[in-house]
Amino acid sequence: MHTVLIVDDSDINLTLIKALVLKLGECSPVLFDRPVAALEWCRDNVPDLVIVDYMMPEMDGLKFIAAFRALHGRNEIPMLMITANDQRDIRYEALLGGANDFLTKPIDRIEFSARARNMLSLRTGQKFLADRAEHLAALVDERTSEIREREKELIFRMSRAAEFRDPETGAHIQRMAHYSQIIARGLDLGPAMEKLVLEAAPMHDVGKIGIPDYILLKPGKLTPEEFEVMKGHARLGYELLKDSGSEILRAGAEVAMSHHEKYDGSGYPFGLKGTQIPQLGRIVAVADVFDALTSERPYKRAWSLDDACRFLEEGRSKHFDPLCVEAFLAGWEDILEIRQRFRDEEVPQI
Amino acid sequence: MAAAFVLDRASILERLGGDEEIYAMMVDMFVADVENNCTALATALAAGDVESLKRAAHTVKGLLATFSDDDGAVEANFVEKNAREDELANLGPAVADIQSRLREVSAVLSAGQA
Repeated sequence: MHTVLIVDDSDINLTLIKALVLKLGECSPVLFDRPVAALEWCRDNVPDLVIVDYMMPEMDGLKFIAAFRALHGRNEIPMLMITANDQRDIRYEALLGGANDFLTKPIDRIEFSARARNMLSLRTGQKFLADRAEHLAALVDERTSEIREREKELIFRMSRAAEFRDPETGAHIQRMAHYSQIIARGLDLGPAMEKLVLEAAPMHDVGKIGIPDYILLKPGKLTPEEFEVMKGHARLGYELLKDSGSEILRAGAEVAMSHHEKYDGSGYPFGLKGTQIPQLGRIVAVADVFDALTSERPYKRAWSLDDACRFLEEGRSKHFDPLCVEAFLAGWEDILEIRQRFRDEEVPQI
Repeated sequence: MAAAFVLDRASILERLGGDEEIYAMMVDMFVADVENNCTALATALAAGDVESLKRAAHTVKGLLATFSDDDGAVEANFVEKNAREDELANLGPAVADIQSRLREVSAVLSAGQA
């Protein structure tokens, strides 16, 4: 059903046009003899066709068309203006001002029907395209969302694969990723970056896949040579993830390469200092170390929260970016909630 | 002075797509509105309201054209086009002619419906 708005100050014209509109079929006419009242109606209603007289008190047809077009979302609604035969200049002005076509008085039913039907076909086409565009956008969004979800799941599972070869647990990955997100929020990096941090952080240790078991699983302290090999996991992780078409994997590569750098330049693999270290790496360093300290492992007991916080504070500008430590501590309530939500469980054996 | 109005029912109906129902409705409305339209013309002229006179003449022009009264439409068009401050004093006879024409057309249309 098409809604046809008719605006004419003459009752007889309103009645005639209404009768002609009803003869078109599938149309519901809405009548106004005052253009200002019609405009008010248009603020809350979207007609499929507007038929407006030129000469009216309060506001002529040209002004009505301009005011109607200025309303949000009314730019493409077909409009027919009714003019007298001798008003050629007005017709030109109407066409230039936003009318799609015009009708001349006295109104001829054949001409009226043809022009009105053309305008309604145009409207039907517009609606079809709009619906289709909306449908396609929803479809793309749905498919993209599925792909992103699958990508996230694969990343998590890949990260778990690395962690299985290590005393770390799946819960560690979740906690440190969420801690990283809290830091990103504290740094005001925006929702998109917060999400990227959350999704990329789990890949920090993925390079451990390439470290030999005798080093990775060694119960005692590593020799200097073994430690050098162990440090290689940062580069291995980067090599594994770099140049990906996925923004998340590229961010993961940056995290893997830089999460063992230290703010004072004493870290590895490059000994970068301060803001030379990618921001993702500076964020993840705080989150990863805090969770490692406060988690129980076969070779160590869990530190108390106070001791771990003191370690972070003492490590400001040495091990850690002071702004990241500040952001972490500012989100303390959320940190505690994350700790509660992701508790350590027994790691499944491969 | 325009020639007497002759009802050309066929041409009016042709324009209305042969729809007798719409034709009858239009006639009824025209007849019912005649005095209102005459009053609107007279009031605007008496008040020296140029815009109202122009608009009333324009409306009447459209109404008469709807009933294929070309001569009457020409009279109304004359008032519409000449409705200016400096011409109002001279438009009295033309306005009176339109009023007569409206009543004449109304009478013929009513007779045609009988």
